[in-house]
Amino acid sequence: MVQPTRERLNDQPGDPGFEENLAKFEARVARGDKVEPGDWMPDAYRQQLIRLIHVHANSEICGALPEGTWIPHAPSLKRKMALVAKVQDEVGHGQLLYRAAETLGKSREEMIDELIEGKAKYSNVFHYPAETWADVCVIAWLIDAAAIVNQKMMAEGSYGPYARALKRICYEEAFHLTHGYDMCISMATGTKLQRDMLQDAVNRWWKPIMMFHGPSDKESKHTELLMRWRIKLKTNDAQRQEFLVKYLPKMFNLGLTVPAEWDLKFDEKTRTWTYNEPDWDEFVHVVRGNGPVSAQRLETRRLSHEHGRWVREALAAAASGRRVPMPN
Amino acid sequence: MTDTQWQVFEVFHQPVRGEPHVHVGSVHAPDAETAILMAKEQFARRQACVNIWVVRADAITATTYEDADIFEHGTDKSYREAFGYETTKRAKAVGDSAEL
Amino acid sequence: MSDKYTPDTLTPELKAAVIDLLYRLADDSIVIGHRNSEWTGIGPILEEDIAFSSTAQDKMGHALAFYNLLHELGEPKPDDLAFLRDAKDFRCCSFVAMSHLPANAEGDVPELMNNPTRNRLIVHGDWSISLMRQFLFVEADVLRMHALESSTYQPLAAIARKIRGELKYHLMHAESMLRHLATGTDESRKRMQQALNSVYPHALGLFEPTQHDKTLANAGIAPGETHLRDEWIEHITPLLAGAGLRQPTDVEPVFGGRKGRHGDELVALLADMQKIYRMEPTGTW
Repeated sequence: MVQPTRERLNDQPGDPGFEENLAKFEARVARGDKVEPGDWMPDAYRQQLIRLIHVHANSEICGALPEGTWIPHAPSLKRKMALVAKVQDEVGHGQLLYRAAETLGKSREEMIDELIEGKAKYSNVFHYPAETWADVCVIAWLIDAAAIVNQKMMAEGSYGPYARALKRICYEEAFHLTHGYDMCISMATGTKLQRDMLQDAVNRWWKPIMMFHGPSDKESKHTELLMRWRIKLKTNDAQRQEFLVKYLPKMFNLGLTVPAEWDLKFDEKTRTWTYNEPDWDEFVHVVRGNGPVSAQRLETRRLSHEHGRWVREALAAAASGRRVPMPN
Repeated sequence: MTDTQWQVFEVFHQPVRGEPHVHVGSVHAPDAETAILMAKEQFARRQACVNIWVVRADAITATTYEDADIFEHGTDKSYREAFGYETTKRAKAVGDSAEL
Repeated sequence: MSDKYTPDTLTPELKAAVIDLLYRLADDSIVIGHRNSEWTGIGPILEEDIAFSSTAQDKMGHALAFYNLLHELGEPKPDDLAFLRDAKDFRCCSFVAMSHLPANAEGDVPELMNNPTRNRLIVHGDWSISLMRQFLFVEADVLRMHALESSTYQPLAAIARKIRGELKYHLMHAESMLRHLATGTDESRKRMQQALNSVYPHALGLFEPTQHDKTLANAGIAPGETHLRDEWIEHITPLLAGAGLRQPTDVEPVFGGRKGRHGDELVALLADMQKIYRMEPTGTW
């Protein structure tokens, strides 16, 4: 779909009719109506959504890497098929999300180029390495659980194409969560070697997990506007609580522990968990591309994109009729 | 850096015979043949499906949401609905009590 | 005139032949499924990544179905068959075990925090090898399974009939991709021709004759390998020519796999595949 030119959009403060259009737009969003691609929207709304969906899509295709690397080692036929299916879903989610972002006027190629040039972010958790099979179990259960809290909320958001993509994604994530929990139950009820592997993975992943929903509301500069426009419906801290309240008891039930330095305590009165605040400077440092394996992730994506180029070009040429002549 | 950005095909799937085709999303593909292959796995690898359509996105002409008011009814249009009539009662009055 | 066979009605001679056949089918399926899934998440474009991953999953599913038939005949359970046997016990052909790397893929590979096989694939992997192998394999798989639909060994015929739809998609996908890539650009034509030249001798290994061929054919359980090979060549020749590719002639087939003689590639593949399972072979993962 062709986007109208910038001049005609009048979507910035000061443009003719901006205030009137903004009032109508905000009234529609407040009513719970979805915003659709052809609608008038403030430029700031468009830019925020592009940024958000782009990061989300990048996270899916970067998230495919730590788990993908363990596909060859998956330790049963069922686990092997399920892990391929799960990583495949992540690639599929990337496809759906890039497409949703494209409806706002940015092409998938541009977005993938920005990712591999290090100009666009992806989720903090995928800047860390998956060192053992137990890491795959922890990612599939706890990180997917944390992501589902976020995605279920976003699926109720105001932008139609993003909400529709997320409905489909949440449906598939239900399989991911079950698959992840099932693997963790096997490990937690398995041999000492398996239990130790799982606990070790939890210990290493707990920090990235605590940081997953983003900086505390005290530090997050976007939250208020995003919530007014129903791009976001819950604060980062509220999402983190929702995750902790639901999943910490399940972890403890499996005999898992959380590293003591987090000082996690359940407050019976408020029914919430208290904890030592993560180091948000470190979080920012990591998502800017300085995590333990940030460079390797981007290099993997870059090489994969480069090596696929001849395939993409060949298919495009074959389809357009620009075929190479047949040999004699 | 940007290379071939393939065109977009909208994807419609039919879950069972007799049901209408429903829009489920879109794929990037160089041509319709490839779009079908890609759509099959991206949109029908779980849910039931008996048939898929792919349509080049730029072949679709749509109304705008600004014009959504053309679908609203400004005046009473109940005369073109079955519920707009009391004919069962009136038929009975003339001696016809069978189903209309 | 043929009898219908079930696990209970096989003679000892037929049983040994069926077991050998099932190992060949199952091991080809798991190994090509494993190989193709190495691309999952790093394929040439998102849509194709998804499609190729599905065919890999399907082949793993077929392997499981065949391993189940083996288990019914008294062999170990499916996971033990896949994860506890050594290369010498595998009956796959060398063709399915081939890596996606071109012959000249030498040199250091940077540490990308993947497993070493995947690091090499990311740096040196060539999709043309994967797709060409897939095309040649699928054409053979479809012919073989089509013939097995009327196998007198009933559990096998039932599986062949059940997976028909999946294989039909594999065929549509592989033939379409082959045509596109072989006729797309000068570079893609060249890559596909090179891939064909390098994998073709191994592809002929799909039809390595075995000592059981005659027994299986006479009992109506499976078509003879030589017969299948002739049918396959007849089938792919016009497809390759139509795509403008030169089919290698006078090729010495690479045999040995059906007798358990394998190269380093299968040994390395199994080391990857069995690594975790063998840490606790009696455990539940």
